[in-house]
Amino acid sequence: MMTQATEITNDGLLRRMIAGDEEAFMLLYRRMQPAIYRYALRMSGNPALAEDVTQEVFMALIRDTKRFDPARGTLGGFLFGIARNHLRKRWEQDRRSVSLAADLEESGLPAPAGPNGKGLPVGADDKLASGETAARVREAIATLPENYREAVVLCELEEMSYEEAAVALDCPIGTVRSRLHRARTMLMEKLRERQSVRHAWGVSK
Amino acid sequence: MNEGAIHVDCARIGEILHDLDRPGALDSKLVESALAHAESCSRCAQLLTEAEWLDFGLKTVAARESNLQAGPRVEAVLLREFRNRHAAIARRRFQWRLAALGTAAVVVLAMGLFLHQRLAPRPNVTVVVRSSQAAPAVTAPNSGQQPLAGSQAADTSEYATGFVSLPYADDPSTLDDAAIVRVVLSRPALASLGVPVPDTSDTESVPADLILSEDGTPEAIRLVSQTTAEKSF
Repeated sequence: MMTQATEITNDGLLRRMIAGDEEAFMLLYRRMQPAIYRYALRMSGNPALAEDVTQEVFMALIRDTKRFDPARGTLGGFLFGIARNHLRKRWEQDRRSVSLAADLEESGLPAPAGPNGKGLPVGADDKLASGETAARVREAIATLPENYREAVVLCELEEMSYEEAAVALDCPIGTVRSRLHRARTMLMEKLRERQSVRHAWGVSK
Repeated sequence: MNEGAIHVDCARIGEILHDLDRPGALDSKLVESALAHAESCSRCAQLLTEAEWLDFGLKTVAARESNLQAGPRVEAVLLREFRNRHAAIARRRFQWRLAALGTAAVVVLAMGLFLHQRLAPRPNVTVVVRSSQAAPAVTAPNSGQQPLAGSQAADTSEYATGFVSLPYADDPSTLDDAAIVRVVLSRPALASLGVPVPDTSDTESVPADLILSEDGTPEAIRLVSQTTAEKSF
């Protein structure tokens, strides 16, 4: 049963869903919603908002399936695009800047590491515990400007291709690539800075 | 030196640094050359290490958060919406089918009526009600009496004989509520009514006025000529 479900393509499920097949809709939802939810959560830092956005994305798919044009990209790219638009609308409505760090604890994401962690590794044998590494990287991602953060979230954390991300972000592939490069450079700088601060903090201690 | 090796310097490393680990993003020879340069350049080696560490960190974040998903409340809301939506679509589809069926039935009926009117044989009787007040004077058949002036048709292009009572007719004086109707009858039909018409024209049908009693029974007949006033029967 599970094997059969994974064999059906998204387009196949979508066709069945349009014909009113409830099971196909549920399969498609369960396949796609975790990525959409994670994207919304990573971009907003707010689990309730991420759930609302996920719900709105699939509501839009139910209500107006014909908006999706397979010639323009994958279903995933299309859904991420809707999620992005909903997030932006919500941000405009709220008129407030989202403080991701403040909501991290509420979100269920592991809390960022304190300033007593080790510095950046310079050798293969200098490995940090994976939890601490993840926390540092997550914290650094949260401080990125929105355009760069969404490039990292889609291309690195959700492992989308540049093409898929371009559809989701409604911009050329070259723009995705340059934003991702800039974002990664910024992340490396932030992590390097953090290392210096921690070294200094550790020395003074 | 390797044949076909691509020259990579520190600036080039900066350009391609973030694509080195991305499958298919760079040519394999370019990647090899970049790694070869990093072996001889500590600054670029440091950059590569940091990029690798960043990749490791990003993968760790992705793996740790891979089980995050929306709660069951969202799924329930969406399932309800999906069911409502498709029930409404099914209802609309049924209504459309019903409307289409009705329209088709109306069209078929209209076409049937049209064809029926076009193809059905036209009756050769033209009915024109002339009067319903009082019957005009009627003469007995073959009495030789001249037609009455009052029996002449109002149309100046018409000429009519006097009314001749039909063989089975009642007494003409009792016809108070009679009506005169204009009919076109074939010569054999006229002959069967006891009014033989000589074949003097090239038409097979002859216009005539019938006096109908209250119950619709023809009581008397007169022949009408619509062509010329001089024509006699």
